[in-house]
Amino acid sequence: MLTFLVSSPKGERKHISLRVVVTVLRIRDAADIELAVRAAIAGEQPLEIIGHGSKRSIGHAMTTNAVLDVSALNVVTCYEPNELIITVQAGAPLDEVLSLLDSRNQEFAFEPMDTAVLLGVGSGRGTIGGMIGAGLAGPRRIRAGGVRDHLLGAHAVSGFGDGFKAGGRVVKNVTGYDLCKLLAGSWGTLAIMTEVTLKVMPKAEAERTLVLRGLDDVTANRAMTAAMGSSYDVSGAAHLPHSALKAAPGALAGLASTGQAATLLRLEGIAASVVHRGAALAANLASFGAGELVEDAESAALWRAVRDVAPFAADGPLGAWPVWRIVCPPASGGVFGQALARETGGEVIYDWVGGLLWAALPSSVDAHAALLRRRLAPLGGHATLLRADEETRRAVDVFHPLAKGVAALSERVRQSFDPQSILNRGRLARTPIS
Amino acid sequence: MTVMMPASDRLVLDRRDAIVADLRGIVPGEGVISSAAEMLPYESDALTAYRQPPMVVVLPETTEQVSRVLKYCFDNGIKVVPRGSGTSLSGGALPLADAVLLGLGKFKRIREIDFDNRVVITEPGVTNLAISQAVAHAGFYYAPDPSSQIACSIGGNIAENSGGVHCLKYGMTTNNVLGCQLVLMSGEVLRIGGKAPEQAGYDLMGIITGSEGLLGVVTEVTVRILRKPETARALMVGFSQVEAAGECVARIIGAGIIPAGMEMMDRPAIHAAEAFVKAGYPLDVEALLIIELDGSSIEVNELIQRVEAIALGCGSTSCRISGSEAERDLFWAGRKAAFPAVGRISPDYLCMDGTIPRGALPRALVRIRDLGEKYGLGVANVFHAGDGNLHPLILYDANKPGEMDKAEEFGADILRCCVELGGVLTGEHGVGIEKRDLMPHMFSEADLNQQQRVKCAFDARGLLNPGKVFPTLHRCAELGRVHVHGGKLAFPELPRF
Repeated sequence: MLTFLVSSPKGERKHISLRVVVTVLRIRDAADIELAVRAAIAGEQPLEIIGHGSKRSIGHAMTTNAVLDVSALNVVTCYEPNELIITVQAGAPLDEVLSLLDSRNQEFAFEPMDTAVLLGVGSGRGTIGGMIGAGLAGPRRIRAGGVRDHLLGAHAVSGFGDGFKAGGRVVKNVTGYDLCKLLAGSWGTLAIMTEVTLKVMPKAEAERTLVLRGLDDVTANRAMTAAMGSSYDVSGAAHLPHSALKAAPGALAGLASTGQAATLLRLEGIAASVVHRGAALAANLASFGAGELVEDAESAALWRAVRDVAPFAADGPLGAWPVWRIVCPPASGGVFGQALARETGGEVIYDWVGGLLWAALPSSVDAHAALLRRRLAPLGGHATLLRADEETRRAVDVFHPLAKGVAALSERVRQSFDPQSILNRGRLARTPIS
Repeated sequence: MTVMMPASDRLVLDRRDAIVADLRGIVPGEGVISSAAEMLPYESDALTAYRQPPMVVVLPETTEQVSRVLKYCFDNGIKVVPRGSGTSLSGGALPLADAVLLGLGKFKRIREIDFDNRVVITEPGVTNLAISQAVAHAGFYYAPDPSSQIACSIGGNIAENSGGVHCLKYGMTTNNVLGCQLVLMSGEVLRIGGKAPEQAGYDLMGIITGSEGLLGVVTEVTVRILRKPETARALMVGFSQVEAAGECVARIIGAGIIPAGMEMMDRPAIHAAEAFVKAGYPLDVEALLIIELDGSSIEVNELIQRVEAIALGCGSTSCRISGSEAERDLFWAGRKAAFPAVGRISPDYLCMDGTIPRGALPRALVRIRDLGEKYGLGVANVFHAGDGNLHPLILYDANKPGEMDKAEEFGADILRCCVELGGVLTGEHGVGIEKRDLMPHMFSEADLNQQQRVKCAFDARGLLNPGKVFPTLHRCAELGRVHVHGGKLAFPELPRF
């Protein structure tokens, strides 16, 4: 059954229905979403919430075939560069919003990841709502925080079918519970965001990347840790072993040519400052070898490639391997990643000083889930299977299983937004498909 | 007292002696305080206009004791009010007559300093400043710096999501906390997050931070520490008009400069602070900006010049740039002492805390001035200008009949004005009891119901810190009902699967 909500020339809302397999509800405004959710509640009909659908392959298959498409909510409501905020509807295309910010020399400081490189679908696609729901921040998270740190306010529709507002349009706000924190990274399982206010930041005038060569993963982890312990305000710290670099196209390919691993340390700010700090940081880390400095556009291209995990690109040599996103205490990353790569024959790259590992592992029944989660447990880390075919995702918990008490609390929190599990049912947890 | 608190439970009060005895069985020795005289210090937090003796004070020393006390209270239907150092300005730790006041003051140990992962694991009773002091020898610090940092506890900071003058650049508590050990009202002990930069699953740390002690009791905290910037310098800029100072703030941000701190004071606040601290503030100006820039010395020196030029372009009448750490500290001394300085010129004052969009600053100050005239009360304004956080200090004399009520009405009008201007009721002090009844000015019933449903997920019986934050208490069961609009379905043909 395909049900459309349409409006007549007089503006009346009507429904037309066609008999097909998937139901797609295309909504026009927040009021439509409330109506659709209430109807779904009454019909005990779960809804899959999508914007552009660019990240649909992340998570478990949802136990529904009714789709609520919010991409029509695509308006930039208000952009106030001097207030450092932008208010946009959740279906607004991310690339258009980023272009708009760029026109005023601003950006989202958390560097939202473009998952198209890794997933092989959705190039140039993706909405603001998807960006927040996925909560995937890039290299600058170590300095500027993640998506959750920049979401100031939201209008959303809960699984009760009620529109509600959380937060506000100012940075400094402690009025009531900070529900925005829950929405960021909730993969659409708590509420359907309709409009959000995000903090924006001025772009740095200049950037330099200090590249150290030939370090093994553990030594690189130490070098990055030392850099973060300096006062040079490092805004990116990543390490790419040579075997992973070899697989990388574009910006990183140049780094691979010397046949050595590359450890990247980014400095941003005004030109004179990044020049000074670049030299000072290189001197500070001299015991790790002589570094070279990469400037501005070339540096920016490197960090885009790190952000989007270009070495594991879907169209690259490792494109068929499952990819894990692993988060752990930063100083543990090197030892953990090196052992993981050795044991599985996979490839690992490091971001966030070693606190974020991307691991492309040769296919196996469980994509090595049991092994890596067992090793992660004592470190206090967690792992998400960000890329895998559907069969593997059926066999593995895509999202990291939570400790019993935390899992129970999380489920109660979820139910406090959506007691009947109308929204993205089954995406986060493996459930039998009816 | 003008704020209605939840009615006392007579059945609990009648059993007070037995409850005290039972609690002594859990927390031995001096950890249970039940005499009226000894409970006196716990009657109020820093919102001293409101006082209420608790039923009993319990000061546990271990997570296990906290867990057992909460489970006991849960099983017996006894309310619990958690308390850190008691420096809340919004009454978040105001006791209830029939509640256990659970003080976390004995949790005073820093458990681990991990410079490699740049985190400190600490007990909640440790003060904000003590964390910075514990890592200062290695050149690190904990960024959020509420002005009460010498006394306020990190546990309290989490409850209130505390800010400070540097949160423009470095964020508030929520941006600097990675994990905690949380005891639910049921006594269940959970570990949320940790040393990893992100937690798995929903961002529970994010909802716990700023929940004003209504969701759980924190018994251990993991915070992020930062390396101190190479240098910091400050400018002190005077303006003959408040509007010009406001414009200067907007232009600095518009030029892509994010200062470490950007504070504004108006004429009454400048005069009070100068009389108190002798910081060398100009007395012939209507507004004073203190702008701090930090980072590498090259960057700071360059940005100082840019900011100075912007200020001149906005018509600044004076500008001093700190030439030494001592001078920078002096610039701040007046601002940091603004509250006690105002306390010297008025018998009492009420400190408000709203946030507005930066651009609305001149309009807000005009409205506040007009309201001052309407109520016949003086007001001094200090203002975290960088992030739009206003702290009007309303001057009154509690000994004059009716003046406190008038001051409170004045304050409520200011906060309503903040919301009208696109801002919020509280930027860093919290809702507590002080702003509780103003919540409907900012949030609809649906908004508040959703917040209260989250509360129910943590504390289904509503026993933890009731009467704070929410103007109306609902039973969880009634909030959990799904509205099915039978017979009037919008999508009657939605299929079932």
